[in-house]
Amino acid sequence: MFQWNVIWDNLSRFIDGALMTLWLSVVTMVLAIPGGLILASMRLSRFRTISIPAVIFVEFFRATPLILQIYWVYYVLPAYFDIRLSQMLTAIVGLTCNVSSFNSETFRSGILSIRQGQWNAGRAIGMTDFQVMQNIVFPQAFLRILPALASTWVSLFKDTSLVSIISVGDLSYISLKVRSETYRILEVLTFMAGLYWLMGYPQAKMVDWLHRRYKVSE
Amino acid sequence: MGDSITFSHATPILVEKMNFTAITANWIFLSKALWITFSISALSMVLGFLIGVFVGGFRTYGGRFLDIILGFYVDTIRSVPLLVVLLWVYFAFPLIIGRSIDVYVAAVVGLGVQLGAYMAETIRAGLTSVRQGQMSAALALGMSRVDAVRTIILPQALIRMLPSLGSLFVSIIKDSAIASVIAVPELLRQTQIIAGKTYQPFILYTAAMLVYFSLCFPVARGIDMIYRRYSHLGSS
Repeated sequence: MFQWNVIWDNLSRFIDGALMTLWLSVVTMVLAIPGGLILASMRLSRFRTISIPAVIFVEFFRATPLILQIYWVYYVLPAYFDIRLSQMLTAIVGLTCNVSSFNSETFRSGILSIRQGQWNAGRAIGMTDFQVMQNIVFPQAFLRILPALASTWVSLFKDTSLVSIISVGDLSYISLKVRSETYRILEVLTFMAGLYWLMGYPQAKMVDWLHRRYKVSE
Repeated sequence: MGDSITFSHATPILVEKMNFTAITANWIFLSKALWITFSISALSMVLGFLIGVFVGGFRTYGGRFLDIILGFYVDTIRSVPLLVVLLWVYFAFPLIIGRSIDVYVAAVVGLGVQLGAYMAETIRAGLTSVRQGQMSAALALGMSRVDAVRTIILPQALIRMLPSLGSLFVSIIKDSAIASVIAVPELLRQTQIIAGKTYQPFILYTAAMLVYFSLCFPVARGIDMIYRRYSHLGSS
């Protein structure tokens, strides 16, 4: 029933796909952390002209399916705004907008979780708001948001599988390709799930560890 | 790889191509699709909630052995993408059992099993957040453990879990769009079909975005409101 040689014959392609999945996750996260910081600070701004666009952006990307966002970027940008991106860039743009929105809420709640008294204390000793943020609020907020950030990382790692729909060569795209070339559906799909499991399981455990390690207990 | 961006001097094609005929002409087709999105989301919520209550409950009160086995299920789902789960359930699983599965069943099972794992984690966190003393008090009054969980601990836990349950419900509505990959005729899938026929992707995909937004955003905000109204019932 099983013919596992399909897997060994195409092993290097699977590994390339897995590396692409990891690479996409890393690039997206590296872009989405500053993205989230910018959105969060826009949203916390006193000026409505700055905060409202950030609110709309964040709420919109959080309340619509990522797969649809990827399609939207893929079909709509080139046809209607005449911006032509390669599939890879489309994927990165889509994922980054999505993850930035989630990160923004994480950062915002982290910053808001620091008591107002600490701001006042910082100002009382003559610091500027920026200095208070940089030296007092952010270092504490960062430890509190680390677990949430790690959870977002794991969802991002899994969500990269959705870019296969616009034929970016990640693990799921490669697997679906091997599947249609060899018709060994059961072996290929099971192996793909296994590879994701091998990569994802330690990450899920790491998230649990971070949650235990940096749990906020008041 | 040609990772390049080119901007040409675009004419305002956006304005020219803006017309709603693609939507109005296929109104009924798309509303049916919306109904399917709604029903597979609702069914997977029910399935996910049931799985979540049992797995979460057994992990909390069922002893070490069950905790390890069910923990393995939860962590596996947490590490494998939903796309992979759906593809496996619909394409690979039938080869094992030797008969094909209805695509709706595959979608609801895939989504429900995924949601169930996250639901179980949420429920377990809710259950363990209720103080140990309440269980002791219930047992001292002569209640069985099941009764104590059912009538005392679970109701408080459910209220405390509301915010996380809300975001899980939102995420399952969004995730139901991934079922388009196994050709469930839900909103995204049917939008793709119409977009392919009419060459009007902008208006159709944008409309689909707005529809998903107006499904998800009220659920998120509504559950937040319910939570604010009733959060006092969960505090002890």
